Amino acid sequence: MHYTFEIERGNFTDAGQASSSVKRTLKHLGVAPANIKRTVVALFEAEINAIAHAYGGTIDVDIDDEKIVMVVADTGPGIPNLDLAMQEGWSTASPEVREMGYGAGMGLPNIKKNTDDLKIESTVGVGTTVTMTVFFA
Amino acid sequence: MAAQETFFGHSLKVDKTRCLGCTTCMRSCPTGAIRIRGGKAVMNDNKCVDCGNCMKVCPHKAIYIQQDDFALIHNYEYRVCLVPTTFIGQFEEKFKTREIYACLKKLGFTHIYEVEHEVEYIVELYNKYIAKHPEIRTFISPYCPAVIRLIQVRFPSLVDNIIKVRAPFELAAHIMTNRLMDEGAKREDIGVFYVTPCAAKIAAVKYPVSNKETRINGVINMDFLFNKVQLMLRGSNNNAEAINHSLTSRDILWPLPGGEASLFNGSHYAVDGLQNVLNFLERLEDEAVDAQGLVEMRICDQGCVGGVLATNNRFVARKRLEDRAHLLDKPDRPLNRYTRYNNPDFCKWIDEQMEIDEITPHSIYKLDDNFAEAIKMAERMKKIEKALPGVNCSACGAPSCAALAEDIVRGDADISSCMFINRHTQASEDAIRDIWGDRIKTRTITNDNNE
Repeated sequence: MHYTFEIERGNFTDAGQASSSVKRTLKHLGVAPANIKRTVVALFEAEINAIAHAYGGTIDVDIDDEKIVMVVADTGPGIPNLDLAMQEGWSTASPEVREMGYGAGMGLPNIKKNTDDLKIESTVGVGTTVTMTVFFA
Repeated sequence: MAAQETFFGHSLKVDKTRCLGCTTCMRSCPTGAIRIRGGKAVMNDNKCVDCGNCMKVCPHKAIYIQQDDFALIHNYEYRVCLVPTTFIGQFEEKFKTREIYACLKKLGFTHIYEVEHEVEYIVELYNKYIAKHPEIRTFISPYCPAVIRLIQVRFPSLVDNIIKVRAPFELAAHIMTNRLMDEGAKREDIGVFYVTPCAAKIAAVKYPVSNKETRINGVINMDFLFNKVQLMLRGSNNNAEAINHSLTSRDILWPLPGGEASLFNGSHYAVDGLQNVLNFLERLEDEAVDAQGLVEMRICDQGCVGGVLATNNRFVARKRLEDRAHLLDKPDRPLNRYTRYNNPDFCKWIDEQMEIDEITPHSIYKLDDNFAEAIKMAERMKKIEKALPGVNCSACGAPSCAALAEDIVRGDADISSCMFINRHTQASEDAIRDIWGDRIKTRTITNDNNE
């Protein structure tokens, strides 16, 4: 099954709607709590990343009987140095974003930790597409 | 509907003679446990968590809490009234605690024992449990039984965060029976009766999470006992009989928000009120909050003084308890603990009695055991939800359009239950009759019939 969500730049207040909706569906499907948690944590982080850094974007979620694939695609500045971005504590977040309790540089590392497969495609000045997969078994 | 195994029992009941099927309770239920069938509210035992919200909001007093027959106390030679300080908070300060207890004795109890005598040891048990589980970051207090059930049905991923220690009333019942047996009483001659401020605590006694033996022989609703005592206090000839009690000010404040947290030395949070508890658990489940330490949670606003069986206004009761605690706040007050707490063998035994072996998750969401089938159902549910009006009118007998969609895919309802769909078919008329009985007639309004 398929879901699409919109991401609005700078709207931290509404962050988590995609992950809440996905969480409800996974509970309906009877997915193991540990896998629901991994999925929701990863999706929430990716959503926050897009809200904080990009100009807007979409989240596409596909669920079948063995996995969930989440594609978070944004138009935005892109990630100039992916290796640095994957390091814990590395952050380019603005002071405003940090003041809200985000931007600690744990986003991408946390996504990696919670997913079974992570693919990041980024073009500077164009945008970033993060594809995350969690297997249920 | 497929036959289902029942996991929980409840003391909350619907009085069908008073219920009008007005949907108020159904819309306020945090677990979607209520539907309207045959014009009356019907509860799903596996979804209900005994929070008592339905009873609080019912405009017709159609929801009540079943209680044990008071005459049961006379089956025992030693009749212990296990009373929480919340009860004392119901009375005006001009009545001394010992006067209130004297009334309880006149009603037939031989011993009065305050539940909060044992709370200090409960916190010690929390500390022992926390020390044994370094792998857990957030510990949820097991004190409010409605919170435990809410987690079991709505937040199953958090069951391992609950501290597996039984409630203070259970410890108090054990200690009191042991005290009386130390004095020569026979076990079978002792009857312990707990005065409850809410439905959840009755359910916790009657249908416990733990398989261990309970020492509580009966439960008495707080409002029932309040009315009896209030009448006696207002009577002219009330010969107060002194009864020693040795609670500290912190013990007295235990039922209020922050009561557990104040006895706990580490990092702690105190959350009270249904919506606050739901929000916090939701955020905790998503790891969107990082709560390290003890999270005290009470499903009632203002904690136990907000219980559905507490007669007086929760803020007034809170103030009264705070005032009473202030009176007791003397630095040299000795802690009158049960002497056998000094005996390591006894402590080992009581620690075992107080353990909860397991808290099992019982998710109310799962659509089917077969994953492929569950996906099909979820797809269908999504489609049906889109087709429904989304106004959540509840006229179908479900609390929301989403709930109706779920009921339909589970086979518990039909799309013709929706008043906005197929309005003019025989099926919709039948559905309206099934849900609302004969009280509401279906009508077709035409130009000739402008009423």
